Order: sequence, then structure tokens, then C-alpha cells
Amino acid sequence: MEQKVLEIINNIRATKDLAPVASLGNEDRLRDDLGLTSFDLAELTVNIEAEFDIDIFEDGLVNTVGEIYEKLQK
Amino acid sequence: MAVFLYNGNREYSYEMLVDNINLHREYYPLYKTDDLFAYFENLVKAIAANRPLTLLDSDLSLSEIEGLDDGAVNIPEQLPDAAFADIDAVIEAVKNSSSEITIFTSGTTGQPKKVIHSISTLTRAVRISEKHNSDIWAYAYNPTHMAGLQVFFQAFENKNTLVNVFNMQRNDVYKAVAAYDITHISATPTFYRLLLPFEQPCPTVKRVTLGGEKSGSQLYDSIRLIFPNAKINNVYASTEAGSLFAAKGDCFQLPAALRDKFRVVDEELLIHCSLLGRSESFKLDGEYYHSGDLIEWVDEAEGCFRFKSRKNELINVGGYKVNPSEVEEAIDALEGVRQSLVYGKPNSVLGNIVVAEVLREEGSELTDVDIRKSLRDKLQDFKIPRKIKFVEEFTLTRTGKIKRL
Repeated sequence: MEQKVLEIINNIRATKDLAPVASLGNEDRLRDDLGLTSFDLAELTVNIEAEFDIDIFEDGLVNTVGEIYEKLQK
Repeated sequence: MAVFLYNGNREYSYEMLVDNINLHREYYPLYKTDDLFAYFENLVKAIAANRPLTLLDSDLSLSEIEGLDDGAVNIPEQLPDAAFADIDAVIEAVKNSSSEITIFTSGTTGQPKKVIHSISTLTRAVRISEKHNSDIWAYAYNPTHMAGLQVFFQAFENKNTLVNVFNMQRNDVYKAVAAYDITHISATPTFYRLLLPFEQPCPTVKRVTLGGEKSGSQLYDSIRLIFPNAKINNVYASTEAGSLFAAKGDCFQLPAALRDKFRVVDEELLIHCSLLGRSESFKLDGEYYHSGDLIEWVDEAEGCFRFKSRKNELINVGGYKVNPSEVEEAIDALEGVRQSLVYGKPNSVLGNIVVAEVLREEGSELTDVDIRKSLRDKLQDFKIPRKIKFVEEFTLTRTGKIKRL
């Protein structure tokens, strides 16, 4: 699962000409550390939902990578 | 006097604005800039001098708009001498200006269309009074769009302070609200959604306005937590007509004075042409303009209604309207693409996101990243599909009855 999330985030970074990140930490903030905008977050939800069938933003925003994992493990 | 604008770590006073207007007597009729103060200076200068002005987004690619002369962008034009004694004199000149301001709508077919507004339509909703003397505004809209202009004129004509938070990170928004004691915020529901989850209250904010897209009651509850001392209201404004009515909660009320300027036919809100800007693209039905917004009455006698959805196909992405035909045209023009179909998909962050189905030419190895990178030179960021699916055939028809889902 973590590998898949990494892949999805790196795909988004690629379209923005940002270098891929080698790994994700639980504390990494999606906006401040990974450089994702609101449009990127929308894209992230779509791709995660396509993969895991869970809308991570359904009840309020998630801010860190760790919070994504949490939602996916429920 | 209050500061005019805080942008990043820069501070600009009203005196500075007046000095610049008096000293630099040239302006840009077609201006594209990232510098918010320079943008406002140019706007005020043009209006105070009764000159026409076309507002262009800073990330606009000029090919997006037909009939726009590339060579004319950012070319200064001389203005007659002027000596405004102070900001009040500038504001008076703005209020009485005969300037025509051109902005762009997403249109319902093809490329964005020009709409020309007078200062009176742009400032219709501005309220000037002592009560507003010390308002401090978070500036959360794109400055070249209708909503951004509304907030600008409301703040400027009351000599309020604007704090730029447009496209800012969540933490920086919270910091700005606290650091500048912001009292007023007007923004899209997406802006507020991005402030979630609730962490700390912002007690200085007295008024929160939402506009641009439909918002659910869950969002209202969250906004109440973040801004415990704020009145929350909703505003209906459009590129075509400017600000028309505001309301509390999720209902709107037609103002009594304007009641005869609206009609509802087949649930669609029609707006009388006297309330509109000017555009060759408006198709009027008699004297009425079809807004494309479908409404339902809550109390017809009182003129209270609620928005249901949009009639046409424009996709509302975080308050930005995207015309699918325009995006399809741009994709279809790419090498290796035979045909594309663009539609909106509901999304918990932005309301909707733009999705494209693409049928490639035989042998083409075009990837989604290739397509999105090529589109960056042709379309503004919010119009670029966030999901691209390659298909062998189209399962949906664009003009047929099958809904875009």
C-alpha cells in the first residue's frame, strides 16, 4: 500500500516537473513538504480512490502521509 | 491611515498607491502580471483616468483567447497628467469613472468570451459606511475574476487593508489571519475546505462569505468552528452580471428592488439584460439572459430560493468554471490524439475535477504525463484534466442523453 501511495504522489510530482521522492515519512505534510496544491490533492483523492476504493478526504482534509495510511487501514 | 495591501512580506500603503498613480502616468491596457500591487495600481490608474482595461490572468496562455493581440500585452500607454490630492480623490474618480473593464467568461461553447463591464456593475454590491472603516480583508480570490474584483472594490472604496492569501498554504492562511487580525474573508467553498480539519479558532473574523460553488451543510458546521464569531453568508455573482444577491445559510433572496429583473422558466434563473455587462456572446431570450443555473423555490412569495445545479455543461472546479469543449479542442489538437471527451467527476476536495477520455491514433504511445505537459502551454492550470483515461472507444456521448459522470 505504501509503495502504491508513493507511486501516485510521484506521478503527480512528475507532471509538475518536481523530482520524485525516494520514500515517504508518516510526518510528511502533503502541501508544505510534498508541494501539492488543492488541485493536486483532488487528483490524489481520485487516484487513491481508484486504487483502494476509499475517499480519503470524505470527512475533512488529511494533512500528512501518515493520515492517509490511517484512512486506508480502516 | 490603514495599509492598503500586505503581499508576502511586502507592505503597501494607500499613500504609496496615490504617489505611484500621480508619478507614473502610463498604464497597461492589456496587463499580465504576478505582482498584485502592480496589478491593483494599474487597475485603479486606468479606472481613475476613465480608460478601458482588459484583465488577463497571470498564467493565461494567449492562445486561449481568440482575437487577443499578443503584441499589445504589457505595452504601456501614456495618460494625461493628474494630481490626486489623496486617496479620497482617487476613490471619487473611481466611483464616477466611465471606464470599461473587460473580463473573460468560460463561455458555453469553445473559447472564453469577453464580457465588458462598467464600474457601476462591478461595484453594485459595494457597501460604504463607517461600519466598514476598519475591516481587514483576506484576499482569497483570483484578482482578475469577478469575485476578486468585488472584494477589491469593497475594500478599496472603504480604504480597508487587503491581505493576500490567494493560493496560500493552509498554515500560512491561519498565520495571516492571526497576524493581521483579519475581520473579513470572502472565498470559494474549496478555500474553506482546505482549512479543515479544524485545529484552532480564528476569533477576529467577523464575516465569512462563500461564493462560486454549491456547498453542503457539513462545510457550514466546520466553518462555524473555525470562525466562531463570524456571520456566514453566501453570495451569488457571475462573470456576466457581477454580484446579484447574497443570503444567509444556503438560501438566496431576490432583493425586492430587483424582483422584476428576474424570471424563472423551467427552473432556470433568467436575468434581465439591464443587469448584465456587454458581450457579443450573450444570447438573449427577449430581454432575458439564461443563467444556466437551476433553482428551486423555498418561498416564492418572498423570492427565496436555493440553487440546485447547472443546466449547461460547465464544470465547476473549486469555483472555476471549465468549459469541456475548450479542453477537448486543446487535446484534439495534440499529435497522436484522435478524439477526446472531457467531463467533470465529483470530488471531495474541489467539488469536481476535470477528467478526459482520450482515443489515441493507432501506434501512438502518448502518455497522460505527455498530454498534461503539452496542455500547460495552452490552458490555464485549472482547466487541465487531472485524470486521463485512454480508451478504445467512447462509452459516453457528448451530446447524447448519457450523463457525464
